[in-house]
Amino acid sequence: MQTNRFTRRDFLKLGGTLAATSVLAACAPDDATPPTVVSQQGVPTNPIVTTEAQTPLPPVPMATLALNRLTFGIRPGDVEAFNALGATDDERLQNFVALQLTPDSIDDSEFENRYNNAGFETLHKSLEQLYADHIANNPYNSNDNSYWDWYSKPAHELADATALRAAYSEKQLVELLADFWHNHFNVYFWQDDGVPLLVSYNRDALRAHMLGNFRQMLEAVAKHPSMLYYLNQNNSSDAGPNENYARELFELHTLGAENYLGVRDPNTVQKDADGVAIGYVDNDVYEAARCLTGWRIDDNIGGWEEGVGISGNFLYYKPWHDRFNKIVLGRYIPADQEDLKDGHDVLDLLANHPGTARFIARKLCRRFISDVPPESIVQAVTNTFYENRAAPDQLKRVMETILLSAEFKASWGGKVKRPFEAVISMVRALNSDSNRIPGGIHWMLGLMGQAIFERRSPDGYPDVREAWANSMSLLYRWNFAVGLTENWMNDDDTGFKIASDVYGQTPAEIRSASALADYWIQRILNQPLAEAGRNAIMTVMAQDYGPEEALPDDHVRYVLPAMVEVILMSPEFQWR
Amino acid sequence: MTKTLIPRRQFLQGCSAAIAAMAGAKLTNLAFAKQDNPSDTLVVVFLRGGWDALNVVPPLAGDDRGFYELARPNLKISDPLRLNDQFGLHPAMSPLYDLYQSGKVGVVHAVGLDFDTRSHFDAQEYIELGTPGSKSTASGWITRHLQSTGISSILPVLSTAGQPTSLLNFTPTVSLNTPEDFSLWDNGLRDSHMNALRQLYAGDSLLHRAGTRTLDALNIVSPLSGGGYTPSNGATYNDDEFGLQMKTVAQMIKLEAGLRIATVDFGGWDTHEYENDGNGGYIATLLGQLASGLANFYLDLDSGHTEKLSVVVVSEFGRRLVQNESYGTDHGHGSVMFALGGSVNGGQVFGNWPGLDNEQLYDHADLAVTTDYRQVLGELLSKRMNNSDIEAVFPGFSGNYNPLGVFK
Repeated sequence: MQTNRFTRRDFLKLGGTLAATSVLAACAPDDATPPTVVSQQGVPTNPIVTTEAQTPLPPVPMATLALNRLTFGIRPGDVEAFNALGATDDERLQNFVALQLTPDSIDDSEFENRYNNAGFETLHKSLEQLYADHIANNPYNSNDNSYWDWYSKPAHELADATALRAAYSEKQLVELLADFWHNHFNVYFWQDDGVPLLVSYNRDALRAHMLGNFRQMLEAVAKHPSMLYYLNQNNSSDAGPNENYARELFELHTLGAENYLGVRDPNTVQKDADGVAIGYVDNDVYEAARCLTGWRIDDNIGGWEEGVGISGNFLYYKPWHDRFNKIVLGRYIPADQEDLKDGHDVLDLLANHPGTARFIARKLCRRFISDVPPESIVQAVTNTFYENRAAPDQLKRVMETILLSAEFKASWGGKVKRPFEAVISMVRALNSDSNRIPGGIHWMLGLMGQAIFERRSPDGYPDVREAWANSMSLLYRWNFAVGLTENWMNDDDTGFKIASDVYGQTPAEIRSASALADYWIQRILNQPLAEAGRNAIMTVMAQDYGPEEALPDDHVRYVLPAMVEVILMSPEFQWR
Repeated sequence: MTKTLIPRRQFLQGCSAAIAAMAGAKLTNLAFAKQDNPSDTLVVVFLRGGWDALNVVPPLAGDDRGFYELARPNLKISDPLRLNDQFGLHPAMSPLYDLYQSGKVGVVHAVGLDFDTRSHFDAQEYIELGTPGSKSTASGWITRHLQSTGISSILPVLSTAGQPTSLLNFTPTVSLNTPEDFSLWDNGLRDSHMNALRQLYAGDSLLHRAGTRTLDALNIVSPLSGGGYTPSNGATYNDDEFGLQMKTVAQMIKLEAGLRIATVDFGGWDTHEYENDGNGGYIATLLGQLASGLANFYLDLDSGHTEKLSVVVVSEFGRRLVQNESYGTDHGHGSVMFALGGSVNGGQVFGNWPGLDNEQLYDHADLAVTTDYRQVLGELLSKRMNNSDIEAVFPGFSGNYNPLGVFK
């Protein structure tokens, strides 16, 4: 039918680069640039963004840029600590990045204290323990709420711990990366069968590898029960492969939609110098799904499956594996290979594909530089990713390329905080005190559209401002500013509390509306505001008093929180 | 000045309801004039995940019934409601059946995106941008419709879930979940906050415009935030996400603030496994929520608001004819659309049925697309939304425009 024609789509997807690819393929093999797949012109911006890629804003100090971008927001003392890292901005940034990329060297005792006092009961458990305790041997009656409370307890604790880490851990870049990679390899909190296992997924498949090697992370994800359940791989057998995981493996985890050539004859797709197809078609998805049949979970809860236990671990189940030959991305995969090799071959092809290097590079640059990152940095990061594809610290080197680039240093205005970043940055800005985040914060994040781990579809939360510049997302970050500052967030039922004290954090000698506004603007934003903005904030503080008048203490106690709230609500606080 | 402290319990229930209740606002206190809509109010319901068109509207008879049953031994719908001699309706959709029979619901089969993709995200974006094959389009199809007709109302567009791609680059969109949740919390100095926010968000960037829009919307919607909405005609919305969204849209239509378009998202249709068990199961739950939400919405508005109401239900694609081994269906191609409203030539199944024989299938696997989804939307714009400039909304399509007669 429509499968053999070279369509308009190919032209749009590949643009002029078919020719460019041939030229590159003819270059010396040690050319640093991987053979490029996708054109720079007319690249599908996935996700779609409008023309406002970067809002022109007045320049800010390097500390403001770096701390907003490489942490979940500025805490009191952070700017001074950053500036003490060197004599020049470049030196400070370099030292800060070096420190953050060696997280084991960071003293995190303040966070650890909070974590140890949080009352978490399940986060230390291994995958097998989580499966045994909360799934296979759940002690409660499945008709009772207690059964489901126990079932979902580990995942709830993980969400609480994630917020706590983001707010208080000194290993801030690690937390940003954990957020990035969980969204990249998204698993929905409430995916059907393995909710408690999310704790292990986040820790063992993602965090264990995110400064390591992408190929290893890809395999850890592919074999983790959370992903096997979420994308139905657990039911995929040779009798009728389930394509769900295989499709997202191509489209979301590795090559990306930008390398999808649609429904057509795979023989019409151009190959690179190694004989690997430069993009993928539907047939590659089907063949990869066949390669992965038999990748499942050892979850014989019913007790009727021969050769299957009940450990909750990954299981290669040979009776379900399609043993015949396949072709994936133009590469022949012979019949009857040794156990697991068909699937490993698919992961190798994808992780080592230049299209994957570019897709991941662009996505990381979008996260750390701008909604629409300059092609120069995307190319540089693609090169680092590709050249180091066998290195054990591939992803650490990738981060260095991004964070020490000229493009990074010139990127203020490139990002708007998403709800989770906005909320946590307010907690950090006020130095609010909590050992366990109250449930109301999760509820509010839900209203803003970004409850932790609750993106239902496998694409993860969007990372461009268009997705978040909507009224609910803004209104509830404004409301959070009020709730946090006024100490309305405590949850008496669970005992989880969060306390803020802006009055107590204000030096007693600062008492005019003008001085209070300047003090808190500097403290929270670490940049001066334009006159109109400053006046709007100062007016809240002054109410009926003059700007330079000394304010009575009861007025300060009463109105100061309202002024601080407005600073947290301001557009300037939403940039990162 | 007295500071209003909110008891924790009320906070947990949703602070804003408590605050607004104190304000005692009523609908009649709205600070703007009621506006007559020059066009219908259009509600676009997008079913995310690709709904299984062949089980929503299965073939009833003939060879196609045979192909269908052969391909879906565990999923076939054995007792569909009868739409006509050829097609049935999934029994879980029964809340819509009376409306179909009374001519308020029309069905378009084998409709969809006439473009080669089985990717959710590609297909959704192409449909919502209105430019299959091109993602470089800088605006959504609804955005271009509104731009080409002009916007004069206070609250032209409502989205109950963020800003979908169909509204890309349309800044006057207001997103809200429910009016009860839509208010600025009051620490006793809320007016000061509102004034300061007006000044702080008086800028040109996307963020500034979103802030200003939110402040405008607060003024319009806050009178509703006290809750206590009673739907008309005894309509009772389910307490599920879709029911609540439709209730919100009905409230906004009744505000008569010039609402032209509302977009509603409903996810969870990616039924790769355990889709169906006989006639029950996972998809039946979703279809029941959908049909109930739509039927109650119509009933609620059947108090003078349905003659200028058009609802369309669309999904990014249908699913494979053959079931998979996990009793589900994988991504397919041709889909089915529903239209609901006083404006619909209902009680009919529209479209050119391609058949389910192997040679008739798309890629030998899926229901083919014989009607481009833009035929349906184009007809809607032209007949119900006062917009005959189909080329402006769907560039490159107007030459193929050939309306089916779904709308009056």
